[in-house]
Amino acid sequence: MSALRGKVALITGAASGIGRATAFLFAREGAAVALFDVDGTGGRAVAEAIEAEKGRALFVHGDVTRDADVRRAVEETTGRLGGLHILFNNAGIIRRTTVADTTEEDWDRVIAVNLKGVFLMSRHAVPVMARAGGGIIINTASVWGLVGGMRAAAYCASKGAVVLLTKAMALDHGAQNIRVNCICPGDTDTPMLRQEAGMLGEPMDRHMAQAADVPLRRVARPEDIAQAALYLASESSSYISGAPLIIDGGFVAG
Amino acid sequence: MRGLAGKGVLITGGASGIGAATASRFLEEEAKVCVLDRDARANASISKKLPALTGTLTADVGDLKEVRAAFAEAVRLLGRVDVLINNAGISIRHPFLDITSEEWDRVVNVDLTGVFYVAQTAARHMVESGSGVILQTASTNGIVGHRLYADYNACKAGVIELTKSMALELAPKVRVNAIAPGYVLTPMQRAEYTDAMLEEVNRKIPLGRHAAPEDIAALFAFLASDDASYITGQVIVIDGGETAGGLASR
Repeated sequence: MSALRGKVALITGAASGIGRATAFLFAREGAAVALFDVDGTGGRAVAEAIEAEKGRALFVHGDVTRDADVRRAVEETTGRLGGLHILFNNAGIIRRTTVADTTEEDWDRVIAVNLKGVFLMSRHAVPVMARAGGGIIINTASVWGLVGGMRAAAYCASKGAVVLLTKAMALDHGAQNIRVNCICPGDTDTPMLRQEAGMLGEPMDRHMAQAADVPLRRVARPEDIAQAALYLASESSSYISGAPLIIDGGFVAG
Repeated sequence: MRGLAGKGVLITGGASGIGAATASRFLEEEAKVCVLDRDARANASISKKLPALTGTLTADVGDLKEVRAAFAEAVRLLGRVDVLINNAGISIRHPFLDITSEEWDRVVNVDLTGVFYVAQTAARHMVESGSGVILQTASTNGIVGHRLYADYNACKAGVIELTKSMALELAPKVRVNAIAPGYVLTPMQRAEYTDAMLEEVNRKIPLGRHAAPEDIAALFAFLASDDASYITGQVIVIDGGETAGGLASR
């Protein structure tokens, strides 16, 4: 397994869920991985676990919404791991509220993490990649960036914007040999999905059963999404840019 | 790619271009591969080029009887068909105002009816055997407009909708996805270009080049593999960024 041998990947939101699964997979495929997260305890634990299985990992503590943190993450990645070939903009949060009951503070926070974070990370990573002759950016959008979802107004707005930011970046930076794509997961068995049960005031088993009510009859595993990220990060997808890759068990097909 | 070794793979339009590159890629993944093509001479040449092929079948996908006979033969040769690459297609370059009824019928017969014949035949086999993956070649022409190929484009849009509807009805046993390539530099396509024409088209593609048939083959391999086991009912665009912008990125 060496699809990413010699590559350096920077993964945001790497302490849990999809980011964590992707960090393990990329490391097993030979990449050196920089893990960026606001969750210091979780992030360090992932880095240690990767090193325990002989992978190369670096944890950077910080917030994707703060420019100084983002700058430091990119600098530490290139300085300590020797480059930056793959940026996985994956950090994200959700609030399960309608427009009418979303506070201004919650709106700003969701947009800041899910959208501004992608912008800031990319702004610092693109020049590094361009100087190196190219790179790969993968953004985590969502099926709720393609179709609407109930009681998730800020989240849907932020993820729809990520889909279009992806396309705009693909046009702007194709000539610099930077491929930009996004993944659109459906419901995935992560801490975030489980948090939503609480936000909605639903029993966990009912919430998870609803999430599994898609044509393939199950929720996604974080590893399913990580494999899609790996595909987009690898040479196997070298002609794909500006495209959403939907991993949803058939949810948006109907 | 995980889970492709030993799988039975049938590729229509498999004797040239994208289909031939895909046959080669699946052989590298240690799958068993049969190629179906209506061109017997191309079949003879691909079986010489790829001696590891399990077999080549000569049939017209637009003829249901031929499809059924060829598919039965593929099942006999492969043991079972786990993966169908429903790829055969034709196109005629002609202005919309000049398309004759015969030309329309010929294109629709291969590009849409033929896709249906092969897909339904394979799907019945896969549902009975309990699992399978069907991948169909659509095109970015089935998503955005494109001059001089109105009949082909309409068929490719049809393939996309066929794919989504099939995915809903055949889940969870069978996964069904389409791919939408942009410009692909097959030997046939290259022969139609002067160097200047090639350069002009490359200029409007953000990645600055055409796809190689091997790029498309790699996407088929990913989608057929266990790495894509949660992906169904999708159309994956592989176009170097071309349709991320308006008027196919000018």
